[in-house]
Amino acid sequence: MRALGLYIHIPFCKQKCNYCDFYSLGGCEKSTIEEYIDCLCKQIEKEQEEYKDYTVDTIFLGGGTPSLVAPKDVKKLFAQIYKCFKVERCAEISIEINPGTVDEEKLKAYKSVGINRISIGLQSTSNKDLKALGRIHTYEVFLETYKQIRNMGFENVSVDLMYGLPDQKTADFLNILEQVSDFQPEHISAYCLKIEENTPFGRIKDTLSLPTDEEEYETYLALCSFLEKKGYLQYEISNFSKAGFRSKHNLKYWLGEEYLGLGPDAHSFIGGKRFSYLPSLEKYISFPSKEYDKSDSILSAEDEYLMLRLRLSDGVDSRAFYLKFGKELTKTYPNIEKFIKSGHILADNGIYKLSTEGLFVSNYILTELFDI
Amino acid sequence: MNEKQKRIRNFSIIAHIDHGKSTLADRILEYSEAVTKREMEEQLLDNMDLERERGITIKARAVRINYKHKDGQEYILNLIDTPGHVDFNYEVSRSLNACEGALLVVDSTQGIEAQTLANAYLAVDCDLEIVPVINKIDLPSADVDRVRNEIEDVIGIVAEDCPAVSAKVGLNIDQVLDAIVEKIPCPQGDENAPLKCLIFDSHYNSYLGVVVYVRVMDGTLKAGDRIRLMSTGAKYEVVEVGHLSAFGLEKADSISAGEVGYITASIKTVSETRVGDTVTNDENPTSEPLKGFKEALPMVFSGIYPADGARYNDLRDALEKLKLNDAALSFEPETSIALGFGFRCGFLGLLHMEIIQERLEREFNLDLITTAPSVIYKIEKTNGEIIYVDNPSNYPSPDTISVAYEPTVKTSIITPTEFVGGIMDLCQDRRGIFKDMKYLDSQRVELHYIMPLNEIVYDFFDALKSRSKGYASLDYELAGYEPSNLVKLDFLLNGEIVDALTFIVHSDKAYARARRIAEKLKDNISRQLFEIPIQAAIGSKVIARETVRALRKDVLAKCYGGDITRKKKLLEKQKEGKKKMRRLGSVEVTPEAFMAVLKLGDDEK
Repeated sequence: MRALGLYIHIPFCKQKCNYCDFYSLGGCEKSTIEEYIDCLCKQIEKEQEEYKDYTVDTIFLGGGTPSLVAPKDVKKLFAQIYKCFKVERCAEISIEINPGTVDEEKLKAYKSVGINRISIGLQSTSNKDLKALGRIHTYEVFLETYKQIRNMGFENVSVDLMYGLPDQKTADFLNILEQVSDFQPEHISAYCLKIEENTPFGRIKDTLSLPTDEEEYETYLALCSFLEKKGYLQYEISNFSKAGFRSKHNLKYWLGEEYLGLGPDAHSFIGGKRFSYLPSLEKYISFPSKEYDKSDSILSAEDEYLMLRLRLSDGVDSRAFYLKFGKELTKTYPNIEKFIKSGHILADNGIYKLSTEGLFVSNYILTELFDI
Repeated sequence: MNEKQKRIRNFSIIAHIDHGKSTLADRILEYSEAVTKREMEEQLLDNMDLERERGITIKARAVRINYKHKDGQEYILNLIDTPGHVDFNYEVSRSLNACEGALLVVDSTQGIEAQTLANAYLAVDCDLEIVPVINKIDLPSADVDRVRNEIEDVIGIVAEDCPAVSAKVGLNIDQVLDAIVEKIPCPQGDENAPLKCLIFDSHYNSYLGVVVYVRVMDGTLKAGDRIRLMSTGAKYEVVEVGHLSAFGLEKADSISAGEVGYITASIKTVSETRVGDTVTNDENPTSEPLKGFKEALPMVFSGIYPADGARYNDLRDALEKLKLNDAALSFEPETSIALGFGFRCGFLGLLHMEIIQERLEREFNLDLITTAPSVIYKIEKTNGEIIYVDNPSNYPSPDTISVAYEPTVKTSIITPTEFVGGIMDLCQDRRGIFKDMKYLDSQRVELHYIMPLNEIVYDFFDALKSRSKGYASLDYELAGYEPSNLVKLDFLLNGEIVDALTFIVHSDKAYARARRIAEKLKDNISRQLFEIPIQAAIGSKVIARETVRALRKDVLAKCYGGDITRKKKLLEKQKEGKKKMRRLGSVEVTPEAFMAVLKLGDDEK
C-alpha cells in the first residue's frame, strides 16, 4: 500500500488579504461554494480508480478560507472522500480556518467528519497590523475563536504568524510570540512577509516601510531562539511545534512523498511527476484538466531532493542519499565543505543540515551547491 | 578625352548623421530607375543589418547609375557612399578623393551640424564641387531660407538655387540629378597614361576573395593585367574587372580613366588592400602614387573577453572574420586574471568599437565582457626608453616614469546657444582647453577645444548629449601627444586587484572617479555570505573604500505543494545566472557589474 496525502483547495475568501497571491476568490455566493463542493465530489469519484492502491494518511483542507464551507457541505465532501478512498484510521486531518468564520455547528461538523487538526490564520496580535494586512478579524475575535476550538476538544491547533511587516521591529514580533505562546498552541508557523507582484502590497511596495534584510534576519534569529525556549522545536524553516505535533501533511511536501491536490491551482506529486490544475474555478468546474510540470528542469532529482530536505531541521542523511541515488552526497555536492567551514551547514555523523543562519540564506547556498 | 568620359559624374553624398543621406541615395537610385520601387529594399546602400538599424553607413559602397538627362544624353552617375561618422573620417576622405563633386545634405529642420562642417571641409580639401541639398522640407518645422543662409554664411558656398527636397516623400529629386549633371565636372585623367587607381574600399567575398573598389584616375585596366599595390609593393594578376550596379558586381572587359569599378585578383584579406593605396600596372607603372595615403591607426583600445571562457576560440574566429572586411580593426591575445583569455582590440574610435562589439554579439552570437576603453599612452622612462601602453594593466610603476604623455584631440562641438554654459562646464571638467567659439547664427554656436582623448572615450559623448538634450554634435581629430600627470588606478575586491578594472586617469580626477566607481561596484556586486571590501588604490595608497555587506536573507519562507514548482524555477534561474558569473578570487561578479562600471553617465561631479 502506498501512502497518499490528499490536499483539497477551497478557493474562496470573504475578501482577499493585501499580501496574498494564492488562487482564491473574494466575496463568493453560497451557491458557488455548493456547486464547487459538488464538483469536487464528482472528481473524487473519478479519481477513485486511479488511487485504489493508496491509503490516505493525511488530508488537508487549505485555501482560501475552508471555514467558509457550510457544515452540510463539509459532511458531504468527507462522506465522498471516505466512500472513494481508503483513509487510515489515525490519519492527520487538517483544516485552515480564519478567526470569526466558525461557530459551534461548524466545529461539531469538523469533529464528526474526523478533522483533528486546526490551523488558524492569526498573522499578528496587533489590530493595527491586522488592518494593514487586510485581515477580516481582530485579535479579540481570534481569542474567541481559539477558545471555542479548545472547548470543542481539538487538541492539535496551529497558529500562523507573519513577521517582517511594515513598521514592525524585532521587539514587536517577540511581543506577539510571547502572547501567542502563552495560550499554548501545539504548532506555530511563522512566515516572513514576502511582497508579491500582483497583490495590493505589490502595487504600493515603495510606500511601505518594510524592515531591511538585516532586520528580518535579526527577527528570525530571535524567533527561533524564543520558541526553542518555550518548548517549540523548529522542524522546518518556518515551522515549529511541540514534540509530536509536526504537520504530517506538510512534511510530505519536503520529504518528497506523494500527494494529490484537488481544486483549481492545487498541485500534486505522484509517481515522481508534478502536475497541477489551472488556477481558474470556472475551468475547474467545467472540465478539470491536469497540467504537467513539463519545464525541462536543469535541476536533477538529487538537486530537488536537497532543495526540499535542507528546509528541514532533520537535514539530509548521506546514507539515505546514497541508498536513493547511489552517489556520495559530498562528492555530488563538493561545495558542502565550504559551508561547513563557514558555519552555514552543520555536519554531524553523516547528517547535513543548515544552521539557523544558513536556513535564512538557503537559496543562495543551494545555488552554490548546485554550481559544480 | 573620349565622349564617354565627358558624360561620367563621380559624386558622394555627405551629411551629418540622420540628415537623410541614405534616404536621398535611395531616391536617386529609384528616380534614375537603377532599381524599381518594388526591388528596392529600404536604403539599398546600407546593406548591413546593423547599419540599417542604426541608420548610419559604416562602410562605403558605390553604385553606378545610368541617367538620361533633359539634354537627351545618357550620363553615367557613380554614387560613392561614405561612412557617416567621425571615426571613419579617413575613409570618408578617400571616398571623396574618388569624386569630383559632393552633395552636401542638410536637414532643413536642424541646419548645419558638426559633421556637416567636418565633411564639408573634407570635401573642400579634396577640391570637390559642393552641391548643397536641403532635405526634409516636408516637415512642418522646415526652415529652408534659414538653412540656405546658414550654408552661405558658415561654409561659404552658394546655396541660392540649390535643390530643396524631401527624400522621404520623393519631392524634387529630379532637381538633384540635374544639379549633379550640370554642376559637377566630368573626371579628368588620360586613359592612355600609365595605370593609376585609387582604392576607396574593399570587401571580402568568400567566392571571389577581396573585391577592391577603385576609381581609375589614369590608364585602363583589364582582366589578366599584372597589378602592383604601391604602398606594399604586393603584386597580383587581375581576375576580373567591372562596374558596380545597384544589384552587385557587373563584369566588364575593361575599366578606364574616370570610371569607378572593381577589381578581383585572388587577394586573401582586405588588410592587403588598404584604403587610399594606389593600384598601378606592374609592367608599365606610374611614377608617383596618389597623395594622401595613410594607414588607418586604431585610437581606442579595449579588452574583449567571452563571457563564457569556453568560447575563446569562437571569439578569435569571429574577430578574424570581421578583420577580413575591416582593415582598421586590430586585435591580439591578452590574458586577464579576472576575465581569463581574451583580446586587446584597437578601434578607430568609440562608434567603431561599439559596432564591432555589437556585430560580435549579434552575428556571432557571443556574450562579451569588455573593459573600459583606453587610449595609447606614451611613456618616457627614466632610463630613456620610450614605450607605448595600450593596456592600463601594463602601465609602468611611477618611479620608472620620467614623463607620461597622453593623446589629445581637436574637438569641435556645435550646439544651440542655450546649452553653451553646460557644455563649457563639461569640457572644462573633462580637462578641455578652450580654443575659440563662433556663432554660426543667432541660435547656434561652434566651440573648439583641445581635449585629452581619454576624456572623450570616457563617456563624453553621452554626457554631451544629455547636457544638450541631444542637440549638440561632436567631431574630433587627433592632435598629438601632450605631457600629463597621469596615475594608474587599481580596484581591489576582497583585497585582490581586479586587473580588468584598472585604468589610467589624470591625477586631479582620480579621487572623484575612484569614489564613483567604488560606489557603482558596490551597487552592482550581489551580496555574498561574507562582507566584501571594495578599495580603489593608486599604488599601495587606498583612496576610496566601500563595502558590500554580507547577504543575510535569501530564502523562500513559505514552501508547500504549489510553491515547490515555483521554488524550482527560482533556483533554476539562479543556477543559470551563476553560469555567467566571473570568479575574482573569492568574489563572484556578474558581467553586468563590469559593464555598469564602464558606463558612469553624466552625474559625476
